[in-house]
Amino acid sequence: MDKKEIQHLYWRAGFGIGFEDLNKIKKKSRKTILKKLFSASEKSKDLAVDLSEYEKSLTDSFKKVKNKTTDQRRKEQKYLREKGIELNQAWIQKMATSEALLREKMTLFWANVFVCADNNTWSIQNYNNTLRKHALGNFGQFVKAISHEASMIRYLNNKQNKKGKPNENFARELMELFTLGAGNYTENDIKESARAFTGWNSKRNGEFIFSRKQHDFGNKTFFGKTGKFDGNDIIDIILEQKQCAKFICTKVYKYFVNPVIDEENLAEITDLFYKDYDIKKLMFHIFNSDWFYDENNIGVKIKSPIELLVGIHKVVPFKFKNYKQQVYLQKMMGQILLKPVNVAGWKGGKSWIDSNTLMFRLKLPSMLLNNAQISLIEKGDIEGTFEEFYQKRKGKGYLKVTVDWDHFEKNYSKSEEKDLKSTLLISKIDVDTDAMLANLQIDKLKDYCIQLMSIPEYQLC
Amino acid sequence: MERREFLKNSALASSAFMVPSFVKAFENVAKKSLGFKKLVIVQLAGGNDGLNTIIPYRNDIYYKERPRLAIKKEDVLKISDDLGFHKNLGPLKNLYDQGYLSIINNVGYPNPNRSHFRSTDIWHTASNADEYLSTGWLGRYIDTYGKFPYTGIEVDDSLSLIMKGEKMNGIATQNAKTLFYTTNTPFFKKVLKTQEDEHLSEHNLGYLYKTMIEANSSATHIYNKSKTFKSSISYPSNAFGKQLKTTAEFINSNVESKVYYVTMGGFDTHYAQEGRQDKLLDIYSKSMEMFVKDLEQNDTFKDTLIVTFSEFGRRVKQNGSQGTDHGTANNLFIIGKNLKKQGFYNEQPNLADLDKNGDLKYKVDFRDIYATVLENWMEVDDEKILNKSFGKMDFI
Repeated sequence: MDKKEIQHLYWRAGFGIGFEDLNKIKKKSRKTILKKLFSASEKSKDLAVDLSEYEKSLTDSFKKVKNKTTDQRRKEQKYLREKGIELNQAWIQKMATSEALLREKMTLFWANVFVCADNNTWSIQNYNNTLRKHALGNFGQFVKAISHEASMIRYLNNKQNKKGKPNENFARELMELFTLGAGNYTENDIKESARAFTGWNSKRNGEFIFSRKQHDFGNKTFFGKTGKFDGNDIIDIILEQKQCAKFICTKVYKYFVNPVIDEENLAEITDLFYKDYDIKKLMFHIFNSDWFYDENNIGVKIKSPIELLVGIHKVVPFKFKNYKQQVYLQKMMGQILLKPVNVAGWKGGKSWIDSNTLMFRLKLPSMLLNNAQISLIEKGDIEGTFEEFYQKRKGKGYLKVTVDWDHFEKNYSKSEEKDLKSTLLISKIDVDTDAMLANLQIDKLKDYCIQLMSIPEYQLC
Repeated sequence: MERREFLKNSALASSAFMVPSFVKAFENVAKKSLGFKKLVIVQLAGGNDGLNTIIPYRNDIYYKERPRLAIKKEDVLKISDDLGFHKNLGPLKNLYDQGYLSIINNVGYPNPNRSHFRSTDIWHTASNADEYLSTGWLGRYIDTYGKFPYTGIEVDDSLSLIMKGEKMNGIATQNAKTLFYTTNTPFFKKVLKTQEDEHLSEHNLGYLYKTMIEANSSATHIYNKSKTFKSSISYPSNAFGKQLKTTAEFINSNVESKVYYVTMGGFDTHYAQEGRQDKLLDIYSKSMEMFVKDLEQNDTFKDTLIVTFSEFGRRVKQNGSQGTDHGTANNLFIIGKNLKKQGFYNEQPNLADLDKNGDLKYKVDFRDIYATVLENWMEVDDEKILNKSFGKMDFI
């Protein structure tokens, strides 16, 4: 494979590839490289933020839980909120350092398909690990698994979905956002399928529970079929619709190949995926297709804020002393991991970019790696307390980060300026900017690294 | 001579300074295509307790449901037989007395959502409760009628959904100088200086360069304009006062912006509401009074309309921790010089007719207010911005 192709593959299947790693595999065949990429993602290793203090309380009696004082509840919420920040950090760290590149990238992708949020960090960590576990598995099993998750049951109100008093939220989003897309089902399909999910609930310890008392065992008519369907039957019927394969393949194509769809390629992967809904097969087929490496697909995607952060981390690892600052960066760029904007998820693409986010993103490398000053004033945080809002407002400051330049030096010791440039930038380079770069006086490679990361081209992958 | 004038006058401008022609075109566009009217939107983020802001001090239900939290009759700044201001809203009452304030009660929307984030999105995008839009109503105004990001300024460090359009967004800044220097670091300047616009394509890379150039031009415009004017009014020294001061400086120095958005946080008073809301209302009303004074002194108040909203009100019944939980309909303030309807626009909330959660039922759809502001104040086609037709009111 040629270098550009490998870089393209690693940016889409992961978060970029360093100079050393690139050199190691550059002469290998596509088959060998893909085999290595997929086998590294064979196993799924859970995110495991320590939540033992909360876990202990999961076996508490109903009475004890009921009699908790407001103070105890508030303390527990605070604990879970702080753990939420830790989880955010742990996930970033995992994306930046895991060998299972593809699995991690897929997990990030699925988190914006099966969108879910939960203040209960323990539940949402379980949810996140379910995404990771099924990220390259069978799509049908995947949908069933997330439908059984405590966080999802809470997030889309399936707890309130009871016989005689159905709550349609989950049924609607399942079809609109997770499987078929708006306009590919009727309002009646929603009504009927909502009844099939009645009684799907979770225990306090997160275990799924099928409440027979609350389930509607009657006949339902869904996509022209009639039977005493439950939720799993509904998902099976959805999978029978080719539109489901097309809907997911469209999302996959836009995320992994090109935000602009090529109908022919889409039809090709939809046919393949519809056969058995095997996600791994689908991804292998895409990465093994000649069209994937078409010049029009390389370096044309705007990196999400997380892709940007993790990508920088892979080149020059950094560590925050205060996790909250890391979350602050994500907030300023419009993507806080685990805090999706709404159930439809982040829109992505050009919507990441406005005057402020772009300038912030361009300045990010120097703030992170070169100790540039930034404004640390938080916006009127909606859920923050009065005290948080009015006392912790700091003015300008610096990020408290430890930067591992040694890692960079080691990786790039044998490289020249042009190598660094071709490793960091994979999009086409604006001719004027290219001329400007050529005239730059370069003293140190690491300064050049920051400069290259500070031009619009680095925003693309 | 101002930079703008200089650029316009100097034949050598583009070659001497290598200002890309894209930027030059931008600098030369006619100034006053959009009139003088300004709109300032203020959000009391977190859900302000409207019932303890404008107090129904003769309502028995109010006192029954809030044995601990209700504001005592004798503490209320009474303005009608039924309603009065919270004791810390004296400055707001001054505006009321001058006829500068219109209070619209019972503002909300069908099927109210009680999540801060979701309800804020609904207010920002002017969507239905079950609809997810990715552009804000001010953003769509900027998109449709503005030519540059600075048509809309959020006085903050990052841009909220309310200011995001499809093709063009507003710009956020609470410090024009910082923004200017951020977009003008030596390295970025170098990148921009060499930029020739014929290479800007419609693809993502072109979009990034275009946005960078716009950011630079907007930052330059805001900075160059606003540095010519410093407010002489002493605002309360807190974040909100500072944001309003900055807003006044932008308006009074003729920054060519049309819409402003300012957030004030801290209103989520689930517990120990009393002392906290007292402080917040004090900050709000004192700052607002200074803001109006500042605009009046500079003869810009007549061209400025200020709308204050909160994403929802709070539950009628107090909760168990001396606070209130998320509610629904709320009051909304319109501040301006030539209001058609001064004082109370409509009837007070009906505490005897609540929804099944014990929350107020809305009477006025907030989008009727948006539509009215767009048509009567901004003088644009409200349907184009709101994507459908809403009822019109007559407060302006």
